Amino acid sequence: MLVQTPQQLNDLHKQYLADEEKFAKKVLVCCGPGCLASGAAKIVDEFKKLLKKKRIKDFSVEALKETGCHGLCEQGPLVVIEPQGIFYTKVKAKHVEKIIETSIRKDEIVTDLLYTDPKTNQTIERYADISFYSHQHRIALRHLGKISQYDIRDYIAQGGYQALAKALTKMKPDDIIDEVTKSGLRGRGGAGFPAGRKWATCRRAEDQPHYVICNGDEGDPGAFMDRAIMEGNPHSVLEGMIICARAVGSEDGYIYVREEYPLAVQNLQLAIDQATEYGFLGENILGTDLSFDIKVSRGGGAFVCGESSALMKSVAGEVGEPRAKYVRSVLKGLFDKPTVLNNVESFANVPVIINEGGEKFASLGTPKSTGTKAFSLVGKVRNTGLIEVPMGTTLREIIYDIGGGIQNDRPFKAVQTGGPSGGCLPESKLDLPVDFDTLTEAGSMMGSGGMIVVDDRTCVVDLAKYFLGFLVDESCGKCTPCREGLYQLHRLAVKISEGEAAEEDLKKMEKLSEMVIIGSLCGLGKSGPNPFLSTIQYFRDEYLTHIRDKRCPAGVCRALIRYDVIAEKCDGCLACIEACAVHAITGKKGEVHVIDQDKCDKCGACYAVCTRDAIEVT
Amino acid sequence: MNSIFVVIPNLCTGCRTCELACSFAHQVDGKLGHSRIIVLDSGIKDLWIPVTCLQCDDPACVKSCLVDALRLNPETGAVELNQEKCVKCMACMAACPFGCTLLDSQHNMIVKCDLCGGDPVCAHFCPTKALTFKPLAAKQLKVSA
Amino acid sequence: MSKMVHITINGKVVSASEGEMLLAVIRREGIEIPALCHHEAVEPLGACRLCTVEITKEEWDGWSNFVTSCLYPVENDLIVSTHSPKVVQLRRTLVDLQLARCPNSPEIRQLAEEYGITKTSYEEIPDGDNCILCGLCTRICDQMGFAAISTIGRGHGKKVAPPLDEAPPDCVGCLSCALNCPTNVIEFTDAGNIRTIWDKQFELISCAKCGKKTITKEFAKALSESREIPMSYFEICDECHRKELVQTMGRIALWSREVVS
Repeated sequence: MLVQTPQQLNDLHKQYLADEEKFAKKVLVCCGPGCLASGAAKIVDEFKKLLKKKRIKDFSVEALKETGCHGLCEQGPLVVIEPQGIFYTKVKAKHVEKIIETSIRKDEIVTDLLYTDPKTNQTIERYADISFYSHQHRIALRHLGKISQYDIRDYIAQGGYQALAKALTKMKPDDIIDEVTKSGLRGRGGAGFPAGRKWATCRRAEDQPHYVICNGDEGDPGAFMDRAIMEGNPHSVLEGMIICARAVGSEDGYIYVREEYPLAVQNLQLAIDQATEYGFLGENILGTDLSFDIKVSRGGGAFVCGESSALMKSVAGEVGEPRAKYVRSVLKGLFDKPTVLNNVESFANVPVIINEGGEKFASLGTPKSTGTKAFSLVGKVRNTGLIEVPMGTTLREIIYDIGGGIQNDRPFKAVQTGGPSGGCLPESKLDLPVDFDTLTEAGSMMGSGGMIVVDDRTCVVDLAKYFLGFLVDESCGKCTPCREGLYQLHRLAVKISEGEAAEEDLKKMEKLSEMVIIGSLCGLGKSGPNPFLSTIQYFRDEYLTHIRDKRCPAGVCRALIRYDVIAEKCDGCLACIEACAVHAITGKKGEVHVIDQDKCDKCGACYAVCTRDAIEVT
Repeated sequence: MNSIFVVIPNLCTGCRTCELACSFAHQVDGKLGHSRIIVLDSGIKDLWIPVTCLQCDDPACVKSCLVDALRLNPETGAVELNQEKCVKCMACMAACPFGCTLLDSQHNMIVKCDLCGGDPVCAHFCPTKALTFKPLAAKQLKVSA
Repeated sequence: MSKMVHITINGKVVSASEGEMLLAVIRREGIEIPALCHHEAVEPLGACRLCTVEITKEEWDGWSNFVTSCLYPVENDLIVSTHSPKVVQLRRTLVDLQLARCPNSPEIRQLAEEYGITKTSYEEIPDGDNCILCGLCTRICDQMGFAAISTIGRGHGKKVAPPLDEAPPDCVGCLSCALNCPTNVIEFTDAGNIRTIWDKQFELISCAKCGKKTITKEFAKALSESREIPMSYFEICDECHRKELVQTMGRIALWSREVVS
């Protein structure tokens, strides 16, 4: 099925669209990372099984789509009925029969499966009416939740590859670069380098050949935007890469996917095979002289391989260690040749920029940070999930209007952005707009899009300790300041969390942090002290409480907390005694239980099971 | 290269001024270095042999160096050892068929004659002209490999 | 013929060839800065970070950058400070960190003393050896063409080892790794005609004339094969080679006496 001309593509687009409109309704089962983990596969199987047996007018199993991440992961598994946009939450396989009989055969709603707005306590039938969705503007995530992850025809039906046709037949390579430059697209991996400028530099580079690489390493804990795009809409990434190949003059592309994303590898490879079959990859694409092939390159399980020079070494089959050469990889990259390396989300934006023009993209967001950004909003918010908003949206809007505020109405404490390279911002900064520069000025950074919201039960010392420990594990180990400096910073954070530190240790950490930043070879080391520096900036008192009072206000640091039974509330139900793995609690049924502090290992199991509110942490 | 180092043992008196001059010319940390020329007793009466690097046209030492620390200088004709590149593996010492790559055990380095960069001091100071550094006559100039 | 550029080092204007690394120029000016992972035989790595200098340019409006001079190519109008307060503080911190890693290494302790440090201000690493992970041993071994050892692992667990921690099949016992280790961590023994290093044994060549031990048979064989040097060259030691030369030159001298007279 080789598509040789734009006209042919257009015909296919119309045909596939018509094929879909044969069906009165569509059932979209979200198979994004969150819903898959919650059992979406079983729901799909049940639908397939039942739909094969049943006879429904204007409907068949072909109208069932396994889609990418719909967004509201907290409420998953999600099932959507189009075109009405009916939104079913927390679906289980046992609900499938009812959904079919109620919403597909008939036009009714299964009210038990609807989303309930926590503010009004009313159910909402359509996802478009839920504030989580209504505040979003999805460009990079545009087809997620709406098209099949596995079928190129869905992508073409939605207008896919039209941008490629336009770029190849109506534009010259310099025109493409102009459009991307006009759009103001900055690298979505976090560094925010202007994509247009990068592509222009590569295009001009005399050394041949040129390479195009997509960075799908996504190592930040809590981030899954790139995973959702690679799994849910792989063709958007391919299309962006092929357009880039035309712009910079490349014949070979790689998508570097972290080892821990086998589904992304699978879906990308499937998409590559289909795109090749249709002639969007391979020789003489769309009848032009562009030949381009993409290979999927798997990582080995190293966060440091998200760093561009380490990534390129890994693709070349060498050990993924960053190099310290002061020559940019756009000139000497993969195999020492000019290489464009861009993030998954950056490439996913490119087809839209080509189709609608760079100026339109630049009209969204802020002048210096144009367009939109995808975030994985996780942590203690009510609506955890995958979102996309125009740049410049404030943290408050994201966390409260979209995120629905803090779970259980607990007080907001901080929002951690930018992964291990980023930092924490407190409530006083909630009105800051999220973009490449503002958060950095405030001592954090936007990063690749991970956004972790924490409440008063999270200890910032513990948080800093976690990220430092992560970086110590992931450091490549080549340079002294990162390997030894972050190690010592982590050891000092452990000391603080155990109540063994003195105030001079804080000063020592601050000085060491500065040296690690100026001395480190690569970004991992240079930004490594950030989790500590941003928390000490805004939460110094919490550190001092750990040091001076040997107390953890959030009730997290094990060495500094104790669990006690509140005698007045305890009715001797034995629940905590059964839950305690180290047998630290004694007491008979009906009598007040007592926790032996010497045996207690602060695991918190008793606190978790007590339904009488009779356990306190201090 | 248009000069050549000439050794005439019959003129050598065994005074070893050349060794002293060489040590002075190759000081290490302000102290006398290891001489790269050695005057040895031939065992025959009144015959001493100054032994130093023959600056081969096809040097075995250069071939043996796996880190390219040795090279034949086309201007001076000397085979030079770059001390900073040397990894002290002693391959050159083992390979030289004339034993002219020497171990300076005091300074833990390998040394050899480098013709002092084109003006060898030993020839300069040799009182009997047993050692000279002569320009080659046109017909004596060889094309080096 | 490379272009000349002019840079300022500690206030003094010097010239350099375009593309030269800063460290070479700095050293040429007689300025001493430590560079533990540097060796001219191998490509610079930028791992120890001790050779870091502070650089700026007039058009940078007061902003400066910290770069490792071993890897930074000179550019025209670069302004370099090799001992600015932050650079010295960085070197001090790096040495302090290395001392935490290798508290018992005489070489590191000596280096630390130069910075006024007698005991590390950080936590000493338990059960550490004195390896500072400069990588010189592995890089030189690679450059020699043997690639018998390499660094394995990542981060703090990184170490230098032969494949699978067993006797390395490609090692020829040349000792280049051990002889260039800044902290003398790599152990080897020469006992009789057996050399042991990396748990592997090698036979040392005994001079056919005097019996003095030279290099290992394996090393000689590798050199002979890869560089086409007759194996016979390696069978005689340097002293005996000189004696042979003396014999030859003596014969020529005697003969020329007769010819002249």
